Amino acid sequence: CPTAGMLTPNGKEYAQKIPREELTYVILKLLHAWKEPLSHFNQHMEHHQELPDDSLSKAKQISKMVHELETGIEKVTEKMQSMGIISNSLHGMASSEAAGFSSTNEANMMSDSDFIHCFKRDSNKVQCYLKILKCRIMPENSC
Amino acid sequence: MKQKLMSSVQIILLLPLTAMGLTGQSYPGKPKIIRCRSLEKETFSCWWKPGSDGGLPTNYTLFYSKDSEEKIYECPDYRTSGPNSCYFNKNHTNPWTTYNITVTATNEIGSNSSDPQYVDVTSIVQPGSPVNLTLEAKTSASITYLWAKWSPPPLADASSNSHMYHYELRLKPEEKEEWQETIPVGMQTQYKVSRLNPGMKYVVQVRCILDLGEWSEWSSEKHIQIPSEELPPEKPTIIKCRSPEKETFTCWWKPGSDGGRPTNYTLLYSKEGEEQVYECPDYRTAGPNSCYFDKKHTSFWTIYNITVRATNEIGSNSSDPHYVDVTYIVQPDPPVNVTLELKKPMNRKPYLVLTWSPPPLADVRSGWLTLEYELRLKPEEGEEWETIFVGQQTQYKMFSLNPGKKYIVQIHCKPDHHGSWSEWSSENYIQIPNDFRVKDMIVWIIVGVLSSLICLIMSWTMILKGYRMIAFILPPVPGPKIKGIDTHLLETGKSEELLSALGCHGFPPTSDCEELLIEYLEVEDSEDQQLMPSHSNGNPSKKGKTTPKETDSDSGRGSCDSPSLLSEKCRESRALPSTLQTQDVRDVQENKAVKRSWETQCVASERKTLLSNSESTKSSTWPAAQLPDNQPPMFAYHSTVDARKITLITTNVNVAPVLVENEEKHQSRYSVTETVPGDMEEQGEMENLHSKTEQTAVQVKQNRPNEKSPFLNGTLMDYVEVHKVKQDEEPAVLLKHKENSGKTENYTIPGTSKEYTKVSTVVDHNILVLMPDSRVQHTPMSQEPAKEASQNLQQGQAEKNMSYCLTAPSDCKRETSGSEYMDPSSFMPSFK
Repeated sequence: CPTAGMLTPNGKEYAQKIPREELTYVILKLLHAWKEPLSHFNQHMEHHQELPDDSLSKAKQISKMVHELETGIEKVTEKMQSMGIISNSLHGMASSEAAGFSSTNEANMMSDSDFIHCFKRDSNKVQCYLKILKCRIMPENSC
Repeated sequence: MKQKLMSSVQIILLLPLTAMGLTGQSYPGKPKIIRCRSLEKETFSCWWKPGSDGGLPTNYTLFYSKDSEEKIYECPDYRTSGPNSCYFNKNHTNPWTTYNITVTATNEIGSNSSDPQYVDVTSIVQPGSPVNLTLEAKTSASITYLWAKWSPPPLADASSNSHMYHYELRLKPEEKEEWQETIPVGMQTQYKVSRLNPGMKYVVQVRCILDLGEWSEWSSEKHIQIPSEELPPEKPTIIKCRSPEKETFTCWWKPGSDGGRPTNYTLLYSKEGEEQVYECPDYRTAGPNSCYFDKKHTSFWTIYNITVRATNEIGSNSSDPHYVDVTYIVQPDPPVNVTLELKKPMNRKPYLVLTWSPPPLADVRSGWLTLEYELRLKPEEGEEWETIFVGQQTQYKMFSLNPGKKYIVQIHCKPDHHGSWSEWSSENYIQIPNDFRVKDMIVWIIVGVLSSLICLIMSWTMILKGYRMIAFILPPVPGPKIKGIDTHLLETGKSEELLSALGCHGFPPTSDCEELLIEYLEVEDSEDQQLMPSHSNGNPSKKGKTTPKETDSDSGRGSCDSPSLLSEKCRESRALPSTLQTQDVRDVQENKAVKRSWETQCVASERKTLLSNSESTKSSTWPAAQLPDNQPPMFAYHSTVDARKITLITTNVNVAPVLVENEEKHQSRYSVTETVPGDMEEQGEMENLHSKTEQTAVQVKQNRPNEKSPFLNGTLMDYVEVHKVKQDEEPAVLLKHKENSGKTENYTIPGTSKEYTKVSTVVDHNILVLMPDSRVQHTPMSQEPAKEASQNLQQGQAEKNMSYCLTAPSDCKRETSGSEYMDPSSFMPSFK
């Protein structure tokens, strides 16, 4: 997996223990880490003639969604930092540790199904973290 | 002897006492000897069953004698064999002797003896069952044997162990009822059984016998399981792994067959990316054949590789690996606390609010696990469930339930992604209260009362005025009634009215000579080219026949004026001709004007209007030849129809060829009327009709020589036949149209010298109304023109717009010269 080296909370307790900033940072890191592999994957898919058109468009859609999600979370993070909900301490970390994933070579060696499996898992992680973060920050909102 | 006497005296003495029934006690009941057995032929025992004891302590004594001796002995040993028994030891036992045994029961009142039992020791020998039966399954050279071992039956006297018993063994599979095998063993106390099915359970028994006597009873059963072939256990399979709250999980497996041997199961797992293999931390919590991973041992987003291993003394076997990621195996518990609440808002129907709580273990509050709910309900008696997806909320409002019915409702949930549905919650019953709104009931009551009142009223009126009502509702079927003919009128004999009812106007003709009874021939230029004869109204000769037919069948001509309408007009304008005709024919101007107007009136279709301004086109032809002097009658009729052919037939009997022109001359002219200048051919054809007599060929030329007049097509209407419609009446000409093109034929109408040379009107687009020329009558004229002019007056054409304007020319009219007709020439200029 391209994000195999990343350290992420591995359960509910861990996700609840770490500070909110860190959780946010982890989310952003994950999203950022997938941008390039996804685009590589899309290029790779385009060369495949036998795949149906749905898959291609779906893949493009997904990478677009990831990008949008990342942008959105960044905005929300900024807002939260400005509102003082979370601190600014880790703000710098996001940009410095951008390269959290293995090189593209390794990504190419992976099979398509493995790649998709990794992505599925990481997107699930992001979803879970976001939910926990949401409930931590705004507990009254259907939590 | 003495003893005998004494006992018998006692008995005799006791008898009366017992007979008197003193104190309710009596002598004992008769005992009975049950059986006597010898275990080994050297001793034997007898057992008896006591009778009733008479309420007093009873003593039992056993007396026996041997063979036929008279000596009576008493039982030597009452105890060894137990209560109510007698044991004869070796000293007292003679094998070849017959013992006569009786048992006597004695109490204070008296005694009673059993029947004597004759016992031959040799015949009552039955050993006891063998004991200590042991079974062992041994396998050697891959064959499994069963070793059975036992001991001989125990004897009171240990010294007599030398007895020779023969043994017998029987076995059967445990579940069967019948004994599979009974094996004589001989004198050994062990036996090896082969031919057994591995893996089955067997039951074994043994018994023994002495050289004489009976078989002993079967020993107690002994069970044994034959172990199956020496194989390691079968591969177990992992059934499923589940996590109820996304924090712990459990895996279950199913063992294979273990072959009867004790088997051990172990679960081993490893995590993704790690080499180390762990063993299941908890085999117990989740039950047998399961493994429970608690929070510490559960990691998310990692794949577990799980296997189960079965081990027995032979070997072990491992299941296939099972890969598990905990995030994808979440199956929650069903929701709890399902409650119902009935809410009754104002002005609205009451509805039901269903609320529930998520299962207790699921941590929804922290957002770690998000659940979606779905509920299903059905009426209690219903068959199918209606499933409603609710989403993440924990309440639901139900509006559309039937009052009075009972419903069953259930809820289940699942994680919002990557999981499976939980079990359905326990059934909850909803009873919808019957919602009898007072308002509704009142409305229904009022409706019911009103309707019943109405019914009552109706029935009463029916009864009272039954017939009238019936007649009102169901009007009687009218009898045939001719329109216009009133039977009363007939009876009274007022013919006038009658005839007027019949539609004969003016019949019998009033002596209004002024009224010109002109027969109007309607010349119609239609495809059928049949002229409908227009009957004269009020023709005196005809009664009842001259019914004006105002058939207004729509022939699709598209004319604005219907023929009937047109005929109306004609009728209206009938007055005009009469007035006209009274004038001097030479008064052209007036005639002209009137005629013109009249003509315009009667000419219906704009298209076919004869007053078209086209020069040579449509011009109504009027019977031109109204020359008072010797003008041959001629008539030109003109049928104007939409784009149909017009055949213009003009006959000029005595006239020189006349060009149809708008001339003022009162000569016989022929005006060729032409119909719609549409697709008419050039009317190049003129009908040349020659009269038989001094004919002057009359050539009717078309008015517009230059114009293309789609006048005569291929199907030129050729009116060549003239039939007298009514022989005995005023002229009515039936012009039959012949589909000839340009044929000129000469016909003569026999008998009739009527010439229709006057065009009274042109009706509609293709109806030319001709009237007979009175003057022409006298001259034999060629009938041809008449024929040709006349159109077929057959009435077959329902589609034709025919109108009949037929007025029988009156004789009076005829007298007047020139007043009966209009001089078309006078109209000519108007056409130009």
